[in-house]
Amino acid sequence: MAENLYEVVWPCGERRQKIQPLAKRLDTLNGKKVAQLWDYLFMGDEVFATLEDELRKQYPQVEFVSWREFGNTHTVNERELLASLPQRFKDLGVDAAISAMAC
Amino acid sequence: MGQAAATSVGLGMPNLPVAMIPGHPGVQSPEELRANVVAVTAWQVMENLLNQPDVQEMEDDPGSRDIVFRGTFEEVNDYFFEREWSDGLPIVPPTMEKIKEFLSYTDRDPNEVLGVVLPASRAVSIWAVAVNGVMAGCKPEYMPVLVALAEAMADPEYGVEHSGNTPGAETLIVLNGPIIKDLKFNYEQGALRDGFKPNTSVGRFWRLALRNIAGFLPHKTDKGSFGNTFRVVLAENEDALAKIGWPSNAADMGFETGDNTVTVSRMTSGNVIVSVTGATPEEIMPYLADSVASCTRWEIIFTVGGITYGTLRPALVLTPILAQTLARAGWSKDDVKQYLYKHARMTARRVETYTETWADFPIISLKHQVNLGKLPKDFAESDDPKRMVPIVLDPDDFMVLVSGDPLRTNAYTFAHNGYLGFPTAKKIVLPADWAERLKK
Repeated sequence: MAENLYEVVWPCGERRQKIQPLAKRLDTLNGKKVAQLWDYLFMGDEVFATLEDELRKQYPQVEFVSWREFGNTHTVNERELLASLPQRFKDLGVDAAISAMAC
Repeated sequence: MGQAAATSVGLGMPNLPVAMIPGHPGVQSPEELRANVVAVTAWQVMENLLNQPDVQEMEDDPGSRDIVFRGTFEEVNDYFFEREWSDGLPIVPPTMEKIKEFLSYTDRDPNEVLGVVLPASRAVSIWAVAVNGVMAGCKPEYMPVLVALAEAMADPEYGVEHSGNTPGAETLIVLNGPIIKDLKFNYEQGALRDGFKPNTSVGRFWRLALRNIAGFLPHKTDKGSFGNTFRVVLAENEDALAKIGWPSNAADMGFETGDNTVTVSRMTSGNVIVSVTGATPEEIMPYLADSVASCTRWEIIFTVGGITYGTLRPALVLTPILAQTLARAGWSKDDVKQYLYKHARMTARRVETYTETWADFPIISLKHQVNLGKLPKDFAESDDPKRMVPIVLDPDDFMVLVSGDPLRTNAYTFAHNGYLGFPTAKKIVLPADWAERLKK
């Protein structure tokens, strides 16, 4: 007995996000301001403190904008907070950002 | 790291550089963590800030109507499984003919997009809903329910983007309205058991939609440490509710009793409350309140500020006979919620142990949060660490549902995942010719 053949379609939703170019990397961290974004998980406060120490060893003139400035990035208002970041970064003169902690 | 890489694709930045911390910070001493960050993470962070990543392209996807494969039932299933488009159970092949049958049960345009959802940033279209409904083994007439579920998935209040987080909570779908009987959903004995086509296949649709539309794939964007299989749809017993004059869950969610609605919320766990004994609310409720309180554990962080304030929505499911016994004594559903607020509690010490010691979601103390005005005074009526404090901020934060075996005195309780799957309800919109179609 011949088996039925099925012609089937692709089951996924259409991708709506195009490739986003990444920001231009910095030529040095000296004299640059680096923002810290934290989701208040997995000891990120300890991690950022250590990162500050280590980055300053290599680039003594690097400046940081603490995660305390932005608040928790993983909470009820996270969409609004993330949407506000481009303007916040401009206002604060931020050159680059480190976002943590993923898992 | 795998999740970061997979998620960055959906954000349109597949080349987003990521720095690694060896191991997991949660099981490292401060000294070990510092040593790892110094040895590995700091160097990677510097490299990521200073070196431009290579530009990457994303492969084009097929069109939604493109025939991607032709083969036998087994071949189609193998093809879909190999591409991570199925959950491992056999799927019904999504042919154009089957999809059109499903689309005939909605007046919506197949191209209509209900939203764009993470992590894959894919469109939740009526077409894609129909395709995944076919695959899940739904009947075409379930389509209005599937569309309402897709609307809930696309609603930012639900927060579907969190569905791949490590707690691995699973969605509970609650169904209300005459459509329960129209489509023969089970709402009595075995209400949460597979074996009833509408309950089971609609529950499976939700998880297939999470996979194929939202883009949650285990070992990639879905990092549930353990996870759960999908839950079948929980339909309320609206006859039992009507008999005792209690509003349905639809009304609790802002609609009218008698409206056809779906409500989705992510539940971290559930437990049956067996052999509830007593002829009065005073005899019945202490056991129920204790069970509701003890089912909620670390999830208290969603109430007291560990992550959020007041987004916890624990659920209590009563069998009809228990609801009737409570109502016979004059209790309303609101009375049940009030009782739970006053009695489904845990000690302040236990809350603070979760937030400060065991799970690391620091709030300093409940009293500190009360002093900040973040929590009501109920949380700091004294300094006694053994004082009992609520597990939610408001009696209405408890979901009280009626379903299950009408004549058994068991109940069920769910712990909730807070704003990472907040209860979200949508009205089910039926096609204009619904009544005629059902008669055929």
